[in-house]
Amino acid sequence: MLIPHPLLGPRDAQEFFCLGSASLLDRPDGMSDGAQAAFHDYVYLRDNPAGVHRELWFHEQGDRSWLVVTRNTLTHEILGAELARDVALRAKGGAA
Amino acid sequence: MPDRVHDLSPLPATGGAAPATARHGALTLTENDGLALASLALRRGGAQPAPFGLTLPGPGGWAAQGEISAFWTGPDQWMIEGHRLAGMDFAARVAAEASGASVTEQTDGFAAFEIRSSAGEAPILALLAKLVNIDPANLASGRAARTGLHHMSVFVIRRAPDHLAVAGMRSAAGTLWHVLETAVARLDAAAA
Amino acid sequence: MTRLSGGLIDRSRTLRFSFNGQALTGHPGDTLASALMANGVLLVGRSFKYHRPRGIFTAGSEEPNALVEIGSGARAEPNTRATVVELFDGLQARSQNHVGSLKRDLLAVNDWFSPFFAAGFYYKTFMWPQKFWEKFYEPAIRHAAGLGRLSGEPDPDAYDKGFLHCDLLVIGGGAAGLAAALTAARTGARVILADEDFRLGGRFLAETHPLDDAPATDWIAGAEAELSSLPNLRIMRRTTVYGVFDSGVYGALERVSDHLPGPAKLRQTLWRITARRAVLAAGATERHIPFANNDRPGVMLAGALRAYANRYAVAPAERVAIFTNNDDGHRTALDLLGKDVAVAGVIDSRAGAQAQGDYPLFAGATVTDSKGRHGLRAVEVTANGRAEWLDCGALGVSGGWNPNVHLASHHRGRPVWDEAAQVFLPPPDGPEGLFVAGAAAGHGSTAAALRSGAEAARDALAGLGLDVSLPDLPRTEDAGLNLHPLWHVPGKGRAWVDFQNDVTVKDIALSYLENMRPVEHLKRWTTLGMATDQGKTANVTALAVMAELTGQTIPQTGTTIFRPPYTPVALSALGGGDNGGHFKPRRLTPTHQWAAAQGAVFVEVGQWMRAQYFPRAGESHWRETVDREVLATRKGVGICDVTTLGKVDVQGADAGEFLNRVYANAMGSLKVGMVRYGLMLREDGVVWDDGTCARLADTHYVVTTTTANAGTIYRHMEFCRQCLWPELDVQLISTTDAWAQIAVAGPNARRLLERIVDGFDLSNEAFPFMACASLTICGGLRARLFRISFSGELAYEIAVPARYGNALMARLVEIGADLGATPYGTEALGVMRIEKGHAAGNELNGQTTAQMLGLGRMVSTKKDSIGAVMSRREGLASERRVLVGLEPVDPARPVVAGAHLFADGAEQNTDTDQGWITSGAHSPHLGHAIGLGFLDNGAARMGEMIVAANPLQGQTVKVRVTSPHFIDPEGERLRA
Repeated sequence: MLIPHPLLGPRDAQEFFCLGSASLLDRPDGMSDGAQAAFHDYVYLRDNPAGVHRELWFHEQGDRSWLVVTRNTLTHEILGAELARDVALRAKGGAA
Repeated sequence: MPDRVHDLSPLPATGGAAPATARHGALTLTENDGLALASLALRRGGAQPAPFGLTLPGPGGWAAQGEISAFWTGPDQWMIEGHRLAGMDFAARVAAEASGASVTEQTDGFAAFEIRSSAGEAPILALLAKLVNIDPANLASGRAARTGLHHMSVFVIRRAPDHLAVAGMRSAAGTLWHVLETAVARLDAAAA
Repeated sequence: MTRLSGGLIDRSRTLRFSFNGQALTGHPGDTLASALMANGVLLVGRSFKYHRPRGIFTAGSEEPNALVEIGSGARAEPNTRATVVELFDGLQARSQNHVGSLKRDLLAVNDWFSPFFAAGFYYKTFMWPQKFWEKFYEPAIRHAAGLGRLSGEPDPDAYDKGFLHCDLLVIGGGAAGLAAALTAARTGARVILADEDFRLGGRFLAETHPLDDAPATDWIAGAEAELSSLPNLRIMRRTTVYGVFDSGVYGALERVSDHLPGPAKLRQTLWRITARRAVLAAGATERHIPFANNDRPGVMLAGALRAYANRYAVAPAERVAIFTNNDDGHRTALDLLGKDVAVAGVIDSRAGAQAQGDYPLFAGATVTDSKGRHGLRAVEVTANGRAEWLDCGALGVSGGWNPNVHLASHHRGRPVWDEAAQVFLPPPDGPEGLFVAGAAAGHGSTAAALRSGAEAARDALAGLGLDVSLPDLPRTEDAGLNLHPLWHVPGKGRAWVDFQNDVTVKDIALSYLENMRPVEHLKRWTTLGMATDQGKTANVTALAVMAELTGQTIPQTGTTIFRPPYTPVALSALGGGDNGGHFKPRRLTPTHQWAAAQGAVFVEVGQWMRAQYFPRAGESHWRETVDREVLATRKGVGICDVTTLGKVDVQGADAGEFLNRVYANAMGSLKVGMVRYGLMLREDGVVWDDGTCARLADTHYVVTTTTANAGTIYRHMEFCRQCLWPELDVQLISTTDAWAQIAVAGPNARRLLERIVDGFDLSNEAFPFMACASLTICGGLRARLFRISFSGELAYEIAVPARYGNALMARLVEIGADLGATPYGTEALGVMRIEKGHAAGNELNGQTTAQMLGLGRMVSTKKDSIGAVMSRREGLASERRVLVGLEPVDPARPVVAGAHLFADGAEQNTDTDQGWITSGAHSPHLGHAIGLGFLDNGAARMGEMIVAANPLQGQTVKVRVTSPHFIDPEGERLRA
């Protein structure tokens, strides 16, 4: 499988470590009220869709970028990849 | 600013009395014991410096100027190479050239091997195919990549059409030498 | 048998080889099968189950019968298809799967008992009595089953792997493949042409029809010359593309030197080819028509008979017959006549069949039986209910051609039945980017194959934005098969469908009767298609027979799909050739050379080789050595390489804030020039890792991780930096290998270091416990010094650029001789940390919390950090087991890690279990065993006597609960 690295082009999936759902980007605030419940959901409740899934991949044997890769888990088709840093910054900007 | 004279003797990464070297057919493999390395990372929002007057290359790139060269290692990160400068505090010298950036000494983090061809680029391309899963079109002269090689993380730098460098973690220098030397010898055997 | 005229063999050279010890000869261009045939050897093996005599059935990689062992000793390779073994001088081949000689196989008795060995017999027969299975049935079956035998020795050959990248991969070098390669290569696209054969041309090589009025070999030679001249095209002969993986990644096996005499430097290369597009031009495999006793040596595929005559100039017999249901069988008859082979007749099941030449024709007839114990002597021809025997030494059977769709279904696409052509065509939803051409796509005629190859290349490259013009293709035959389906000849005798696994039409009928009707059940009940040939000559026929029995159409009955590999791939090749000491990367510490010279014993710690202990002359047991190293350290000074700990350089304006969030305890408040112990949690609240965090400058920290977690913690820190808090100004980089780090521990540590530092004040006031500094040593070498202690002694860790580590180690031991300087290894390190009560991997095993470790208060509630919230959840907060020390009441008894703890006198079961021992060691300092463990309410039970039970060794030891700090609990030594 090839991962379309946004900066380096297609690279073999063997260079990457896959962490799982990109929902891990949405870490709750540990100092807020109700943090226990929010962290419970964050740590344990993740979707496992048969179909399009946003995943975190680490280019461990490459440029050490974390990527958000959109992948169809049924066909292994990869629909896109972007730097997780950009996704995270966008989300934080939106929240502010 | 070379290190002040001290009396501890350095040991090449491959552990021999002298840096390792081997020649098989058109390819010569040499441990580059003199290569100084320092990583350079931009502070958040920091301007890109031009250490030693060198324009730092973009993703996948390698650029050289005199005894200094640099290759891209990640977003806003580079490795600066100082050729034949391993005997000095190279990181300090780089830091002085890149104020505001985060510089870390990496000279002994890696063992570097230079592979030169006496028969043009063909033996280099044949060797690349046996080493790393990178399209050689993306490793043309002036390109560099970090990738996996025999379960090790390595930098592969194409310094010239007939000149390749491979750098891997220093502690695994023996394994990396074995892998490179075996591949080079096999290419020679296949060509014979 | 003598050779025929013509052929693509080099008669100017003779190659010697042997079969079962018999000396034989052949020529370059021969396969082992053609050379055996040329020597009159038709019986080459025994079948899997019934040990029936078997001969050569095909001329290609689909061969089910002619499996032999090649080579000898450790290089003996079983189950090798004689039909694809390129003959070389000195080749040694042996038949397999027989007891006694090949001709008088003692296990042929199985054939007499065949009624008992019907489909499913394993499942039914070996059930009772149950205890017989392990002791009797299984060993007996294992002994009798299987084909070849492994040598049992390590594979001495070298294997390699490699990576190729191209715009177009063309799989198969026959008509369609050559046309595709020419079309694509002329555009300048990067093309790889791979073919399993040692000669390009595919089916062309087995045929006689001309291309543009010239022999096909002329056209191939022209094409090959052009392709070879193009720098953008790579021809890979003897290379089987065996699998299609995601994103256009293809697996290919190149047999680099299997065709050369003697051991070579490199035997095979496993290639991983990343192709933007691919053309599958794998051709077609002829199918046979099962009839009674159709498995005798001499019965073979008609197209194979033609290939042997045309390409290899050899026939299996002087007089042959053909059994066909289509026009292709007649072509074989004509080619054989052209080579002066007598054709006893063509038996054509089609009533209206016409003879195409001068041979007897049996129209509307079938072959219903055969004779000949070790080779065919005659076939029974039945027409209109009348049977007659026809003498012949070989029979070519042609039941049509199955497109080789295998690779096209590697992504689970199901082949589609074409009713008109009576074949399965490639699935429309095959692997993305894979285009199928030629006979593999059902374009069986030469002209159609050439055309479709060129078109497939054009279509494939159009997707890459390349404009392709079709080449001028030669004029050639464009005939159809006019096939009339005949899937098997009904009758009483056994009619084989799958030769290699001995599956007959009757077995399929039995499977039907027992309701094992879906193809998936049929396969598992009968073992159809499960042998090394994966049923290439059997599966479609079996499906058709089942369809006939169920009264359904073939597509209703099902279809078979395929998985990689297309043909067998040796595990050695898949392993990539790295074995022994090079099986995985081996990491050496900077002081390895020195340690080896001292005679150190090394231990593997992940990829690292670490000095375990340094035995001295006269020491007879490792414990003796370790005890000495521990005592020498506690009395004088010990020196140990601790480079393997992970080191991460953390810089940036927000480095402190970042570390506050990564560590459970605060790091932002750490003063410059100081070190702090740090605890990292997983986000679920469990302890992950520990280490030290040193602040070298306001915006510069260096943190250490445990050896085992160096990679994962770095990855996690990058996750935190990029994914969780990208707004922070922080930069990370690993520096594990850059610095040689050496622990100097013991009451004399300061005195020893004072001898190497360059005017640096090491006094307790100037450089207290947990201080750190950059300095120079030995007259100018840059170094870092940390006053931290794992042993509990006054201790430092000194770091220098890795290349100087070896010399520094030697220097310290040399100049510290009068101070008792003693190198110590990981064993002594472990003993000392247990004596001091420091947690390590045994305690940080992914199941323990900070509270259990007695570090609960380190998890700051004033800030958010990874795992902090979850560490406070009820289930973890209510955990009462905490780290304690344990010592045996009887000092002679051991303390064993893994033992469980119980109240003295209590019953021992999971309900009464109060904890477990994590670490145990002999403490030379105390003179008896000690241990660490987690015990219920342990903090309140100091001095209590409990029981450590080790049921694995039937051992119970009374132990006393103590503080985990067996040595210097107040920490006076390390602050000295």
